[in-house]
Amino acid sequence: MLIQRRPNGRHLRHVCCCTRQQRRLLNHFISQIPNTKHDPPHPSPPPPTAHLPSPPSTFTLAVKDNIAATSQPTTCASSFLATYHSPFEATIITQLRARGARLIGKTNLDEFGMGSHSTHSAAGPTGKTGETAVPYSAGGSSGGSAAAVAAGEVDLALGTDTGGSVRLPAAYCGVVGFKPSYGMVSRFGVVPYANSLDTVGFLAAATGTATGTGTGGGTGGGTGTRSGVERIREIIVGDNDGEGGKKWLAGLWQEHDPQDPTSLSVAARTRCAKQRVGYGSGDASKQRDHGEVLKGLKFGLPLEYNIAELEPGIRDAWAGAARILQDRYGALVVPVSLPTTKQALAAYYVIAPAEASSNLAKYDGIRYGQRDTDAASDAAGGVLYAASRGKGFGDEVKRRILLGSYTLSSEAMDNYFIRAQRVRRLVRRDFNRVFALDNPLHERETFDLTELDESIAMEDKWGPEEVDFLLCPTAPTLAPRLADVMSQTPVDAYMNDVFTVPASLAGLPAISIPMSVSLGSEDVPTPGPRAAGLQLIGQYWDDARLLAVSDAVLKALQVS
Amino acid sequence: MSRIPTAELSRYLLAGQLTRNGCLYSQIPRIPPARQLRRPSTGQTRTLNTQSDPTTTPTTPQNAPTPAITPLRKQLKDQAKAAKASGKKKKKKNVDNQTVPGWDLTVGIEIHAQLNTARKLFSPAASSVNDKPNSHVALFDVAMPGSQPLFQPETLIPAVRAALALGCNIQPVSRFDRKHYFHWDQPSGYQITQYYHPFARDGCISLQARDGIAAEDGEGVEIGIQQVQMEQDTAKTMAQPGGVHWLDFNRVGLPLVEIITRPQIHHPATAVALVRKVQMLLRSVDACVLGMEAGGLRADINVSVRRTGAEGLGTRTEIKNLSSFKAVEDAIIAERDRQIAVLEAGGVVAGETRGWSLGSTETRRLRGKEGEVDYRYMPDPDLAPVVIGEDLVARLASSLGMLPDAEVDQLIDEYGLSAKDAISLTTIDNGSRIEYFYRVLDALEQQLGIKADIESTDDAKQRRALIAANWCLHELGKLVETAPGVETAALSGDAETLVPSAALATILAHLHSRRITTKVAKELFWRAFRREISADTVTTAIDDDGLWFKELSQDEYAALADEVVQGEEKVLGEFARFKQGKAKAYPQGKLMFLVGKMMRQGGDQRMDPAEAERVLRARIEEVHLSGLGE
Repeated sequence: MLIQRRPNGRHLRHVCCCTRQQRRLLNHFISQIPNTKHDPPHPSPPPPTAHLPSPPSTFTLAVKDNIAATSQPTTCASSFLATYHSPFEATIITQLRARGARLIGKTNLDEFGMGSHSTHSAAGPTGKTGETAVPYSAGGSSGGSAAAVAAGEVDLALGTDTGGSVRLPAAYCGVVGFKPSYGMVSRFGVVPYANSLDTVGFLAAATGTATGTGTGGGTGGGTGTRSGVERIREIIVGDNDGEGGKKWLAGLWQEHDPQDPTSLSVAARTRCAKQRVGYGSGDASKQRDHGEVLKGLKFGLPLEYNIAELEPGIRDAWAGAARILQDRYGALVVPVSLPTTKQALAAYYVIAPAEASSNLAKYDGIRYGQRDTDAASDAAGGVLYAASRGKGFGDEVKRRILLGSYTLSSEAMDNYFIRAQRVRRLVRRDFNRVFALDNPLHERETFDLTELDESIAMEDKWGPEEVDFLLCPTAPTLAPRLADVMSQTPVDAYMNDVFTVPASLAGLPAISIPMSVSLGSEDVPTPGPRAAGLQLIGQYWDDARLLAVSDAVLKALQVS
Repeated sequence: MSRIPTAELSRYLLAGQLTRNGCLYSQIPRIPPARQLRRPSTGQTRTLNTQSDPTTTPTTPQNAPTPAITPLRKQLKDQAKAAKASGKKKKKKNVDNQTVPGWDLTVGIEIHAQLNTARKLFSPAASSVNDKPNSHVALFDVAMPGSQPLFQPETLIPAVRAALALGCNIQPVSRFDRKHYFHWDQPSGYQITQYYHPFARDGCISLQARDGIAAEDGEGVEIGIQQVQMEQDTAKTMAQPGGVHWLDFNRVGLPLVEIITRPQIHHPATAVALVRKVQMLLRSVDACVLGMEAGGLRADINVSVRRTGAEGLGTRTEIKNLSSFKAVEDAIIAERDRQIAVLEAGGVVAGETRGWSLGSTETRRLRGKEGEVDYRYMPDPDLAPVVIGEDLVARLASSLGMLPDAEVDQLIDEYGLSAKDAISLTTIDNGSRIEYFYRVLDALEQQLGIKADIESTDDAKQRRALIAANWCLHELGKLVETAPGVETAALSGDAETLVPSAALATILAHLHSRRITTKVAKELFWRAFRREISADTVTTAIDDDGLWFKELSQDEYAALADEVVQGEEKVLGEFARFKQGKAKAYPQGKLMFLVGKMMRQGGDQRMDPAEAERVLRARIEEVHLSGLGE
C-alpha cells in the first residue's frame, strides 16, 4: 500500500513548513513548501504541450488541501487523512504546472469541504484579519485559499465549489472566485464531497498582482499586471491572441481528462463551444474596452434573491451595481424569476450530504486514519468501524453523514433524495427559461407562463425577456466575526449558501467579484469588512463570456 | 472459507443429513469410506449383532470397560457399517423429500457469476485468477481518495451474451447504483451494482426432466428471470491463524452478473437443476470462466412456505452465499422443514437472513430484520447511464451459437445418445469435450469413407455416433481416472491433449468395421495417450504386432462352444430348468460364464464376444438340450 503512516499522525500541522510569513490569526495554510525550494521534484515530465513555447511567466499557486498533490500530504483537514500522501497528482495541478504554476502550499478548509466558514478543520479554524485585529470569517469551505489570495501571498489559488465553497470565501475575502461549468475542469484527484456538484474553482485577487510576472518574456499579458479575472480567463480559455496570433497553451476548456468519467468528451466540448462566443481565436473581447463589452448586454436580477435576510448594505450595493451597468454602460437590467430558489437550498442539503455519506464510507480506520483499538473489533456487529469513525470525523462531517444516511435510508429515500432530485431538475429548468442561450446538454423545454411571478414583465407574447447573465449577491451577509460564527447553529451557516447553491445544482458557471459596500454606522458598529460579493451566473459552457463580462463589470465598478 | 474438520466431512459424505439418533453422537472414528468397501461383507447376521451390541454405544457408562473385549478393528467396521446403513436410509428419504404433504414451498434464487473479461468493471486493471496477490490493483480498486470509476465497455460483451442466453430483454439504458455496507473486503464502503435499472430483464429458463428437476415438476417447468444486473466483486479474504485476515485486492472490482429468478421454484431438486442450467448456459456462451466448484458461481436463495391452497406467499428468509449444488438443495430442504416446524408449533417465521455451512443439518440465523443492513442505494454520481445499442445486441445474438438445450436435443434425436450422456458431453471440460466429440466423429466418418452429402441411414449414423460418444466420454473418463498424473492435463480442459482426436478416430474406424477387437482398441488408445503411436502409425502398429482381428469361422466357434460345455452338467441343468419352465428367467449369468470360458480358451484376439454368445446359446439350445421337451 502506498499510504504512509507516521507515528503520532494525528497531529496535522507540519511544523517545518509554518515558518513563513504566515500569521497566526490566518491559519490559512495546512502545509507549505519553503520559499527556497522551487518547483518540487516532480516525477512526471511536462505534458505533451511542452513543444509549444514555454509559458510567458510563472505564477505562484496555492491549492486547497482536498486536491491531491504528490509533494505534500493531502489531509482534507481531516484527522483521518492527517498523514495521507497521495500516490498521484490531481489532473488540474498537472495542467497548471504546465502553464507555469509553482505550488507553494496547501490551504486550510472545512473538513472534506463541508462548511461555510473554514472553521470545521482538524488544523484549526481559518480567519482573516479585516482592517482591525478582530478576526472575521474567511468563508468556506475554500477559506484558506481565499485568505491566501487576499493576503497577496499567491497569484492564484485552487478551491473546490460544491454549493458555493469558492464563491462565498471570495465574497468574504474581497477576491475573485470562479466556479466553471460542471464537467469542464477535471476532478481527478479531487477528494469528493458530493460528486455531482463538486467543481474545481479558481481564486485570484481582483486587482492586478505584480508577483511572478516578467520572468518569461511577457508575450501574454503585456501590461505587467493582470487582474485576477484575466488570469483565470487565460487559464480557462487559453491565450488565443498573442503576438502574431501564436498561442502558447490551450485553454482548460479543450482538455478532456480520460481519468474523470464526468469530464466532457472532446466532441461534447467542441459542440458546446460552437454554440458560444469567446472560445474561438477570432474573438476580440479581450482587446475591447470594458464599456464596449457591457453595452447591450442583458442582465437579470432574480426576484427571489431579494430575501428578507439580505443585509441592507448588500441590497444597496447590488442595486447600485445594476444602476451603473444600466445607466452608464447601456446594459439592460431586467427582473427575472427563478421560482424554485426557495426549494433549492433544501434540495442541496439533501443531495450533498447523501453523496457525502456515501463518499466518506471508505474512511473506516482500517485503510485510513487511526483505528480505535480500544473498542470491540467485532465486524459482525458492525462496531469495528463505528468507534473509529466516531473519533476520526469532526462534528460537521458527522452531522452531514447522519443527514445523508437518513435521506438515503429505505423509508426516507422517496421523501427526500428522490424529491430533491426533482427539485434539482426544476432549478435547472428555471435557469434554462431565463437565459437567452440554450443549455447544450438538454433538450429545449417549453414553459408554462402561468407559473411566472406577476411582477415579471412580458417582452412579447412568447414570454418575458431572456437574459445573458444573472446578477445577484454572492451571500446575504458580509463576513461575520469568527467569534459569532463559532456560536452559530449549523442551520445559520447553511443559510449563507442560499444564493450560490442554485448554480451548483444546475452545473452552471458562476463567479463572485468584489463590490464595495458603504457602511451605515448603525448597521455595523465596528469597522468591519467593506466588500461583499457580486455574483454573475451564465448559461452552461458560457464560461468564456462570463469571465470577459465579469472582468468588465469589475472594471466598471472600480471606475465608479 | 474455513477448513472443515475431516470427521465432520466424512460424516457428511456418509450420511448427508443425520438425525440425532443416527451416528452423529456415537464416536465415529475417521474412516475413509473406501476402507470398508474393500473388506468383504460378512453377511447380514453380523450387522444385526453389532447393532444390538451394547459395546458400540459408549454412552452407557457401565459398559465402559467392554471395548477392551471387542477388537478395535471390528468395532470400527461395525460402526462404519451402521453409519452406512443409516446413511442409506436417510438418502432414500431424501428422494421423497421434494414435497411435504399439506405445504407448498416457494423458492427464488439469486446467482452471482464472475464474467469472463480481460479487465475489471471500473478500472483497466487486469482480471486474474491465481496471480500473485495484490498485483492487479488500480487506484480506484482500493478507493484511493480522488480516484474515479472508469467503466470498461468490453465487460458488456459477456454480460449481454449471458443475458441473451437466459432469454432476457436487453435494456437500452441501464444505470449503476451504490449499495452501502461496511466490510473490510470492500474498500470504498459500497458496492457498485445495478439495482433500480438493470441491463437485462424478463428472461426465462426452461428446465426439462433430463435436467434433473423434481419428479413432481413432470416433463418440464419454465422459471422466469426477473432481472440480470452487473456489479463489482469484493476482495478475497484469506484467513490466517490468530484471527488475522489477509486481503487480496486482485478480485475487488471484477465484474459479476447477478441473475435473479422469480419465485417460481417449488421443489429443491428443481432449484439445483436451475443453478446447474444457469451455469451450463453461461459456459456455453463463454460468459463466465469458473464453475460453481471453482468458486466462480455463488447463490443466495429465498425460501418461503405456505399451507397448500393458501393465498399469497409466506414470509421468506434468505440464505446467503451457497457455493455448491448440494448446499443449495440441502439448505432449501432444511430451511423449508424448519419453517414448517415453526408454523406447525404455532410460531411465526421471521423475515431474516440465514446462513448454511457444509455438513450442517439446519440453517443458522445471521441477522434479523432489525439487524438488517439498510443498503441506502444511491445512483452513482460519477457513472453515466450505460446505453446498449440495438446493433450490439443483434450482433451478439447472431453470434451466440447453439445453446445447450438445442445441442442436447440434437445429440439425443439425431445421434441417438442417452440424455445423460448427451448432457455430460456438452458440459464436460467447459464445453470443449463436445467439440472433441465432433472432431472424432467427423474424422471417423471420413476414414470410413462416408461422405456428408450421401445420407446414410439413421441407424448406421447413430451406431457411429454411439461408438464415438462412448469413447469420448467413458473410455476417456477411465483413462483420466487411472492414468498417473493425468488430472492436471485434464484440468486444462481439452481432451485433445490427452489423445489426439485423429488417432482415436483411426482406432475407432478399425473397431467399427470389426477389424480389431475392443480389447485391442483399448490397448491402442493407451498407446496413443502415451504418444507411442499417432493417427498415421495406428495401422502400422496393428500390422507390426499382428493385432488384426482374424475371426474364428462358425465351425470353430461351434467346436469351442461344445468344448466349454463339456463337464458343465450342473450349469446345463439351469438351462434345462428354464427350458422346462421351472425357472422364470433365462440364466444369462451362466451363459456369460460359459462365454468367458470360451474367450479364455479360444484367445480373444480372434473372437467377438457377441458372436461367441450367439453361437454358444444356439449350440446349447440345439445340441446340448435337444433331448428335452417343451
